[in-house]
Amino acid sequence: MFRALVIFLTLALLWALVAQVNHELADYHLYLFTGGLTITYAALVLPQRDGLAAVVLAGLLADANSPVAFGTHTLLFAAAHTITFNARDRVPRDETMARVIVALLANLALFLVFSFTQIGRLPSPASAWPRLIFDLICSQVFLALVAPWFFALQARVIALAGPGRDSLA
Amino acid sequence: MSHERLTQARPFLTLGLVVAAWLVVPVAIKSFFRASFFEFTAPVGVIASYARDLQQYWTLRLHSESELIEAGRDLARLNASYALSVQQNTELEAEVGRLENLLRLPSHPDYRSEPARVMRRDFSGWWQRLEIRKGKNFGIPVGAPVVFTGGVVGRVTEVHAYTSVVELISSPNLRLAATLEGDTRPISFQGGINPTFGPARAEIEFVPLDIYASDLMPKRLVTSGLGGVFPAGLLLGTVTKVEPSTDGLFKTGEVQLDPRLSDLTEVTVLVPLNTE
Repeated sequence: MFRALVIFLTLALLWALVAQVNHELADYHLYLFTGGLTITYAALVLPQRDGLAAVVLAGLLADANSPVAFGTHTLLFAAAHTITFNARDRVPRDETMARVIVALLANLALFLVFSFTQIGRLPSPASAWPRLIFDLICSQVFLALVAPWFFALQARVIALAGPGRDSLA
Repeated sequence: MSHERLTQARPFLTLGLVVAAWLVVPVAIKSFFRASFFEFTAPVGVIASYARDLQQYWTLRLHSESELIEAGRDLARLNASYALSVQQNTELEAEVGRLENLLRLPSHPDYRSEPARVMRRDFSGWWQRLEIRKGKNFGIPVGAPVVFTGGVVGRVTEVHAYTSVVELISSPNLRLAATLEGDTRPISFQGGINPTFGPARAEIEFVPLDIYASDLMPKRLVTSGLGGVFPAGLLLGTVTKVEPSTDGLFKTGEVQLDPRLSDLTEVTVLVPLNTE
């Protein structure tokens, strides 16, 4: 469980950095979403229990800082983690490129599902999609740029925390 | 074979257990977790906010003395005009008080102004919020109106130990009663779509049919004072378009909000003085 806590701390760091970037981007009405990056390493590398615990904690962190029903991010991240974990033996999960692609796909899916859960509250939902799609494109580009660094950080932190039985790290 | 299937299904069984556990957790525990996780992350935003202030301070230190003298002179002129406005305001308030007594009208609610620094802006396509660096430690209540020099910023939706969350008027979650300047009929106002690289917009409904507005002939939209949250007469935005609604009974329209809403660094919370 120590590894889950350590990975959660890296996810909290990611959240804090992305929050600062979003603060600066607010003037341009841009928003970055990195939910896919939150679940990828935990799903591809860690044992299920540790990975799920880290992802659930990160979901609670995101929920506490969003005006959504408490548990929305948590359950979405947990579902995305489970699906990715189930498919991880079919991808070359020790390659950075494969991890980045998984993160991009997970981010795309999470962003779309999250948008569908929230868009009903907008006065004219159809007119919100251009903004959301632009945010999604920017998020994907940002994610592709920072994912290798973030995976390396998580691998290094796991190595410092000590090797686990089922871990690749 | 069945063992293999069970192994494959185990992650989904675990997920099912997590979901079931989440559904049965009492609301009080969820609220505790929400508050705890928010307070866990609050110092990050506060420290980053102070770091930005320090950065700005050192940037300002680079200004020359002559620039500071010029700024001081301009500020003195502004102060003189504001001092005059304060005198006029005092006289007007006294006049309003006399009229209220004479006509036996209920008095206007009083507010205490609480300036606060913005520590985090959160402007997604789903919501628009600000976090400010004052909370319970300064007596900020939930629901308090938040303003700036350009008019209404939004409403306090969450209050924590030393931070608060403000829902912006551009956020679709915020609805309030508004009126056009010089008109007393209430109009429903709701935050709307915020396009990328463009100013925020809001929508209005239940606009009377005799109201006309366009880009060439915009109208100012202000708070109505109905509902008791926002004082009357605060600027919300400019109505640039109205068109008949589908039912033909009213009109709907579009409001251009102040572009400064997205780069605010300081706001003022109006704390009601008589909270009963």
